[in-house]
Amino acid sequence: MSVLVIAPLLVAVTAAVLTLALGRRPRVQRATSVAGVVGYVGVVSAAVWALVLGPAAPGAAVYQVGGWPAPFGITLVLDGLSAFMLTIAAGVGVASILFSVRYVTPVNQRVYYHPLFHMLLVGVTGSFLTGDLFNLFVWFEVMLIVSYVFVAFYGTDHATAASFRYLVMNVFGSALMLVAVGGLYATTGTLNMADMARRLATPEAYGIDPAPVVGLSALLLAVFALKAGLVPFQLWVPAAYAAAPTPITAMFAGVTKKVGMYAIVRLYFTVFAAATVPVDLPGITAASPLGFLAPTLGAMGAASVLVGGFGAVGQDRLGGLFAYSSIGQVGFIAVPVAVAAAADPAGTLRGVAVAAALVFALHHALAKGLLFLSAAAVEDATNTDRLRDLGGIAGRSPVLSGAVFVGLLSLIGLPPLTGFFGKFLAFDAAVRGLASGPGALSALALVALLLGAVLTILYATRVWVGGFWGRETTAVETATVESGQVAVVAALAATVVLVGVGFDPIYRFAETAATAALDGEGYVDVVGLNGGDGA
Amino acid sequence: MRTTARVTVPIVLVVSISLFLQGHNLPGGGFIGGVLTTAAFVLIYVAYDLDYLESGVLGREVEPGTSIFEHRTVTAYRRTLLAGLVVVLGSGVAGILIGDPFLTQGYVHLEGVPIYHEVELASALAFDLGVYLVVVGSLLTIVSVVSSE
Amino acid sequence: MSAALAVAVGGLFAVGTFLLLQRDVIRVVFGVAVVSQATFVYLIAMGGIDEGTRDLVPVLEVHGGGVPEVADPVVQALVLTAIVISFGTTALALVLSYRAYEENETMDVTEWT
Repeated sequence: MSVLVIAPLLVAVTAAVLTLALGRRPRVQRATSVAGVVGYVGVVSAAVWALVLGPAAPGAAVYQVGGWPAPFGITLVLDGLSAFMLTIAAGVGVASILFSVRYVTPVNQRVYYHPLFHMLLVGVTGSFLTGDLFNLFVWFEVMLIVSYVFVAFYGTDHATAASFRYLVMNVFGSALMLVAVGGLYATTGTLNMADMARRLATPEAYGIDPAPVVGLSALLLAVFALKAGLVPFQLWVPAAYAAAPTPITAMFAGVTKKVGMYAIVRLYFTVFAAATVPVDLPGITAASPLGFLAPTLGAMGAASVLVGGFGAVGQDRLGGLFAYSSIGQVGFIAVPVAVAAAADPAGTLRGVAVAAALVFALHHALAKGLLFLSAAAVEDATNTDRLRDLGGIAGRSPVLSGAVFVGLLSLIGLPPLTGFFGKFLAFDAAVRGLASGPGALSALALVALLLGAVLTILYATRVWVGGFWGRETTAVETATVESGQVAVVAALAATVVLVGVGFDPIYRFAETAATAALDGEGYVDVVGLNGGDGA
Repeated sequence: MRTTARVTVPIVLVVSISLFLQGHNLPGGGFIGGVLTTAAFVLIYVAYDLDYLESGVLGREVEPGTSIFEHRTVTAYRRTLLAGLVVVLGSGVAGILIGDPFLTQGYVHLEGVPIYHEVELASALAFDLGVYLVVVGSLLTIVSVVSSE
Repeated sequence: MSAALAVAVGGLFAVGTFLLLQRDVIRVVFGVAVVSQATFVYLIAMGGIDEGTRDLVPVLEVHGGGVPEVADPVVQALVLTAIVISFGTTALALVLSYRAYEENETMDVTEWT
């Protein structure tokens, strides 16, 4: 048991309380806030190195909060998958807060911007670390309540309406999640994820009937898809992203969306994969809940790719365009996950496909973070983010434009940028999925991915030609870009290039994460349930 | 209304504190206690008005015309909220400092205390105190800000 | 889950969903609250009312002698937590709906921008 597992959570909570206490001193508050995120990054890297990646690392570690043993108390687990996601959160978080310091006006900062930012980090971290289903619900709520406030942050008519709709949708989602959690508790008699995996693997030994798990897991899938903004639950995304402060939108797109995808991977592959339940639905027959996940998530992912792509092409505002693009990109994450679910459990394809999804998640977090922050910098300088009113920024601010160029190329997927590997692996997984189990649905998914890639090129070109090339418009002529903001964006662009060039260790990290995600047995071992009866 | 408030507010306050004190072992706890305390305050607000706590109870002058966020009572509520958060966090981290996991709780029996003879002192009480303060502080801030609209 | 509880949960969900689909913002907020209540009833029903044993309830074992008979404490803890969360969310929803009403100058959700 290592304190390092819970340390990221504690650092973020402490930073939230400290920034709240320092509300009357804006400068000190900003400094504390940045220090808090830097401390968070430090603690996350220390934990990841000491517990997952380093030479002497055990690979995974567990922390029993309050000292209560595993199936009873709340368990926090840091394994490869959690470590990968935490690393993404830390990376996007530090860029977002540094940008915020130069972006948020003093008046807006007084509306608890920094405490809320850290609470968002708390919710995300908790979701990635927890090993308990109900606790996952609680962290989701922490994250969501902060999100509602951030969406309504500017208090305009658009913002409050978007926030209210977002709230109502998510409250209903949370109610469904509670129903699923309660049902799973009644079915399996436990809430601890490891304990649940163990019980589902040998239902007879515990005298449980796992049949309801399929339906309940489908409910959870709907809830997580809502959080991830997958079609047909994407309706809240554009309005909410447009209303929130843009550095926070970078966090939403880069990190909180991934929480939904993380929850799908974690629950289906680590927990529900162990169950053998005959699924017999029209068109779907399989032996485990994964058999249900594969076609459903595949269709949702493919639809997201198309809706996001077409939506983005039709948008005139940078923020809206990137928001739709996010919907499409989450589809690119969902399709490999679906391929993994359809793959043979014994083969290598499953691991490769999950790793592909994770690499794409990392790419999306970096590239979309970069693009949202650039859009904020542009809007801050020119007071508009309409492509119609923009033009010629390349001549006005070459550094900012260069960074955007890198981000767009990464989105399109040119080597050696991160996006190339994300897209390459996603296509690789889809093609191999088609080769191993030909079917109309996998072929359709592949076609959707191809079409999505073409649409990405289309809207990326639109952004570049409309906003950055050409003659300077009146809005651009008088604009001065804030150098601090540009520095953050440029650093992110450098990261995109660096991660792409030095891709090998990143891929090995993603592989470690994928292995951890698929190793339900190992997860149970880590939590300490295999040696005796937990107590 | 005021007559009712005069009688009920002390009772509600006492019940809320007793709920809070027995919370680690019996039904009750920081949240319920905090909500009841808030209810008592809200009763005062409904029966009298927002400034009554300052002018009537504490005998201070109320500066008219300031924004609700600068109102002295509201500032006090926000400090309560903050103090509660610090207590919660501190009570959790204290466990780590003495080598136990986060949020580990323990308890001691104190013998020979006058009147009570024996008192059980649980460290969960510190955590509960934090929750109590957070609940009272946040709810009263919400209530006074919203009701001043 | 007894028939009465099942009917109660179903009815609450039906009423809540109906309210959520209304145009009046206040009804939507009520719908949010009712749907949450439905899940609480459901959660409690999921727990069953078996008597507790020493293994099931380590907390009570630590505090003094015997283990009293208990209904499933886990669901009660869950419901308490969920109630607190939904309390906060509903309060936020009320304030937000008020502010949105002020900004948009109408109670009709469909007319909001």
